[in-house]
Amino acid sequence: MQPFALTYARRPIPEPETSFAYDPEQQLNVLADGTPAVRRPKVLLEAGSTTSTAGSKTHFDD
Amino acid sequence: MTVLILTGPGDVTADMVVDHLNTMGTPVLRVDPADFPERASLSATFASGALSGRITTGHRSTDLREIRAIWVRRPGQPGAGARTQAAWVALESDHAWYGTLRALPDVRWMNHPDAHTACRYKMRQLVLAQSVGFHVPATLFTSVPGDATGFAETHGPLVCKSISGHAPDDPPLALPTTPVPAGTDFTAVAEAPTCLQTLVDKRSDIRLTVVGSEMFCARADQLAPGQPELDWRYADPESVRWYPVPVPPDIRARTEGFMRLTGLVYGAFDFAVAADETWHFLECNASGQFGFIELAAGLPISRAMADWLTGTANSS
Repeated sequence: MQPFALTYARRPIPEPETSFAYDPEQQLNVLADGTPAVRRPKVLLEAGSTTSTAGSKTHFDD
Repeated sequence: MTVLILTGPGDVTADMVVDHLNTMGTPVLRVDPADFPERASLSATFASGALSGRITTGHRSTDLREIRAIWVRRPGQPGAGARTQAAWVALESDHAWYGTLRALPDVRWMNHPDAHTACRYKMRQLVLAQSVGFHVPATLFTSVPGDATGFAETHGPLVCKSISGHAPDDPPLALPTTPVPAGTDFTAVAEAPTCLQTLVDKRSDIRLTVVGSEMFCARADQLAPGQPELDWRYADPESVRWYPVPVPPDIRARTEGFMRLTGLVYGAFDFAVAADETWHFLECNASGQFGFIELAAGLPISRAMADWLTGTANSS
């Protein structure tokens, strides 16, 4: 028998696909043209990278 | 001074703070402890009564004595990449890393690991929240089916939620807070401890983000009573519209009391607001996300974080 709480489990929200990558030199994520992703709030929101479940695969859902 | 930020590379919420620190001209070393010791190094010497050394990544390095603030954002586990005697190397790495950082003098922690760890325990949170005056839904942790049935009879309707806040990962699953139907068979609570809580018939959700003495409050109203998705984290983003609201004075005072009791300097509180406008405490996330609230509600949280880390906030 599975634990009771798992009755309500569902498939996880997929990790967002992002159009930016980490640049260790700047210590920031940057877009393909070198612009820091934080300068494009719309991109961040669309990618879901700042949402409460972002990174929840490795961290607490918060 | 240097601000040490412990987080992974893809964390764009941390970027929001790094960007402010860069603008302020504050040196930052961003490192994921999971990269230690493969891609980041630490060397610490305690001799002649003084602690000295360096942390170095592929591109940057800082003298330990320069570190004045540590933001424990979303760090991986030190030694996570070890392949030989992996558990032992990870333990040695953890003690080397956090043992050294904990020994640094005159450092501001957001949050201190001890405060963060203690605050992860939900029942302790609920007891502390009640003690400072918050309304807290009746809550049961149990592995006894009969107790779950009795709790449902006296405190229902109920929701079921994770105790730890961590979702299962073998295989990966999501575990949203979910209503429990009346008449449910609770036999399976014997398989694993289960958290049941009185369902708040909410009209709105509140995310209150605390940075030092500053508070940033956002509210999202239910678009329709009885909205099918109870847990906003898993709802259609279009159905959750965050907007800024002031912090009621009584909530501010209780929140300050909670922060004092827990030793936290950062916390993201979740409340459910009932039809009579009572705010019901659900939890405080010691490392809760704030980027989505800043972007959606226009609250300057990342700037406040940078100010706190550099000691330039009003409360510093």
